[in-house]
Formats: sequence, C-alpha cells, structure tokens
Amino acid sequence: MMTSEITAVGECPEQRRAIRHHEQVMGTIVTIDIYTEDGNRDPAVSLGLARARATLRRADAIFSTWKADSPMSRLRRGEITCDQAPLEVAEVLELCAIAREMSAGWFDPWAMPGGVDPTGYVKGWAAQAALAALTSSEISGAMVNAAGDIASFGGPQPATPFKVGIVDPFSPGQLACVIALNGAIATSGSYERGNHLIDPRSKRPTTRAASASVSGPDLGLADALATALAVAGETGLTVINALKDYEAVVVSLDGTWRWTEGFPFAVPGQLPVGSEHPSGSVVSLRP
Amino acid sequence: MIAATAAGLAGVLSFHTKSAPLIVGGLPVTSTTKGSPGTSVAAGAPPPHGSSGAGSPPSSTTPTTVPSTTPTTVPSTTRSANGPLVNYNYGVLSVSITVKGKKITNVGIASLDDGGNFRSQSIDQQSIPLLEQQALQAQSANIQGVSGASYTSAGFEQSLQAALGKLGV
Repeated sequence: MMTSEITAVGECPEQRRAIRHHEQVMGTIVTIDIYTEDGNRDPAVSLGLARARATLRRADAIFSTWKADSPMSRLRRGEITCDQAPLEVAEVLELCAIAREMSAGWFDPWAMPGGVDPTGYVKGWAAQAALAALTSSEISGAMVNAAGDIASFGGPQPATPFKVGIVDPFSPGQLACVIALNGAIATSGSYERGNHLIDPRSKRPTTRAASASVSGPDLGLADALATALAVAGETGLTVINALKDYEAVVVSLDGTWRWTEGFPFAVPGQLPVGSEHPSGSVVSLRP
Repeated sequence: MIAATAAGLAGVLSFHTKSAPLIVGGLPVTSTTKGSPGTSVAAGAPPPHGSSGAGSPPSSTTPTTVPSTTPTTVPSTTRSANGPLVNYNYGVLSVSITVKGKKITNVGIASLDDGGNFRSQSIDQQSIPLLEQQALQAQSANIQGVSGASYTSAGFEQSLQAALGKLGV
C-alpha cells in the first residue's frame, strides 16, 4: 500500500508521510514508512525504498531457518562452514556473541535446540540495515516496523519524535502506553514465537514475563535484549540498566510494570494502562 | 472491525485480565515535546554494522522495483479466504484474510482448536495479527507505530501464506 499525504505549508503541519509500504518477508510483514519535508515521493525516496526492500529480502534469503536451502539452514546442518556462507553470517554471529555478553547470557543463539539460531537477532538487524538504506537528505524521517520491532530515525515532523504505542500484553487489542521513540524499540512476549523463547540456562521453554520492551539506538541489539528480558523476567532489568543508551520495561506475569529510569514514556509520570495495581507494585528501577 | 475481532479474541483468551482496559486514544498524548531541532533526528540511524554487507544488495536494487509496491490506482474487489488447518505447537489453527486488490485489509483466526490447553492461551495471542496494529494506530492519531510481540509462528505463517496464495496475492 502506498499513501501520499501533502500538507499545507505553515500552520500546524500534520504528518507528511510520503510512503507506507508493506513487505512480506522473514515470515512476517515489515512496514516501511518514509516521511519527507513536503510529503512528496521523489526518485531518491523510491530508490531508498527499493534498497531497503532488497536488504530485507537478502537477509531473509540468507538467514531463514524455514527455508531448507538457505545458507543459515545449511550451516546449521553442518553442510557448509561459516567461511563458506555469505559474509553477513559471520557478521551476525559476531554481533550475536556481543549481544550474548551484553545480556549476561540471557540471549544465547548457541543454546537453541537444533544448533546455533540467530533468528532472535536477525529480524531487528535486518530492519536496522533496511533503515540505513533509507538515509538520504530527502528523507526527514523513517520507520521500519518488523512486526512490532521498530527501527527509526527522525520523526514525522522536524524536531518531533515518532510516538509509538506498546501493546498491552493482557489486552492485545489495546495499547498500554505511548513512548517518544529515539531510535529503536523491540518488544518480546511470552506469546511471541511460541516455544521459541528458550531459557539458555535450562534450555527449556520459559515464561517469566508477559512482555518486555527495550529501546535504544540499534534494533538488532534491542531485539536481542528484549528476548533476553522476556526470558529473564524483571530481574533482567538490572542487566539493561547497566547498558548505556538502552532502556527497558517489563510487564510481569501478574501484570506489574517495572522499567528503567530513562524509559522514554511520551508522557512522563503517565503510568501504563493496567499498571494501576496496589501501591508500591509499580517501581522505577534506579541504578 | 479489526479491533472488534481482536477484542473478541482477547476476551475469549484472557485468563487473568483484571483491570478494566482503557483505550490509549483517551490518554493525554496531545502535546508533543518540542525538542530543539536536531535532537530527535537520526540519533539511531546508521547502525555501526548496517552498511557493511546487507546494505549493498545485489542487482535487484533498481528503481524498477517500485511498481511492485501496491498499486496506487483504483483498487479491485474485496475478497476473503481461509488458510488450511495447520498444526502448531498447541493445537490446530486456520488463518483468515481479507484483501482489497493486493492489499491485506484484515487478518484473523478462522478456526482454532487448542484442546483447552491453558498454556496455549498465551500462545494463541500470536493470532493477533500484525495488521491489527493499524487498528491500534487508528485508536490514536497521535502515534505512528505500534510495538508488540508479533505473530511469527510457523503455523500461523504457513496458513497465512496459503490463504494469500489462494487469492493470488
């Protein structure tokens, strides 16, 4: 789908989204939104979109674990070595190793059943790479939303951040809160990917949080950290809190919300919907 | 329509929802923070690794791919189809979709048999489709996106793709 919205110059400009594009890729649907100064779609915008789409499709072709003949699938079966795979494989695995360390081991693609599985990193990484393909002077803001994990730069208007709602895990048809996006946000939940949320320590399916969101500059890492946090539960907040530039919120299985101090709620002091639990159950974690 | 479907699903599947749900559209999200120019721009844009390999895609990157973006012309008819019953980890599901032209306008669950498994109730929330995000966005014109756990299970995907295939999308 593509929409074109042009606003009058001057008073209170509305959003100037030039493109909304849906790409079916990586087992889901990725939405690409591009904002420009005038809402027009010039050739540079079209070129950026084409590059972003190609980036997503290439990542899917390389990393899909559902496609038996993808390099990642062949690597998992031991048919090829990392050296024989496309360069992106080594890159992603190296980034996964960093994410494993940063998450204190709660994110660990090497602990997945069936061999190394970087799926928890790839979607965010690919969306972030697609976003990078959109960088141009003609584009004032862009979002790549990979099924709820969002990479962005700029905003809908100059000096205005994107605002993004976070789904209430207990009422998935509703939003629980709104954040002012600066970069990326990823959300993982116990309802995501079914049994694919494996606790690397027990190597068993685990549920310690209803939902976990991580915001920060890079969606690949945010995605991995959100997965880690959904597995670790609220105790994992201390891990995120120690990381520069990354913030997190966890919704516990009992509905309690806890977040790191700098989590970018759009309305500071506005408690998430559903967090109105007995006094003291909502806390801001301080270092 | 989509929201209503989702709300129905959520109602059926809810297991210990306590607080009365509010709609974010009612939240005071009106005033945007007027940051100084540049503070919000491109802070997270170039990933340290983003442009190394994946940023240089093969020859398919040409402006000629643009027309494959969904048509801007008059959309054709609205059609619906159900995907086949597919086994997933906790039962059997079938996905329903509605398209207008090549655009997906609704995604839902045509049927679901989870055998009453408690664990499956949370898993079933995978059935909350991504495109429902658009309904959520419609609740509040002041947001540009929605972050939430996604439906990416193999079963859902398999049924969805088959349903899309039926409609030639």
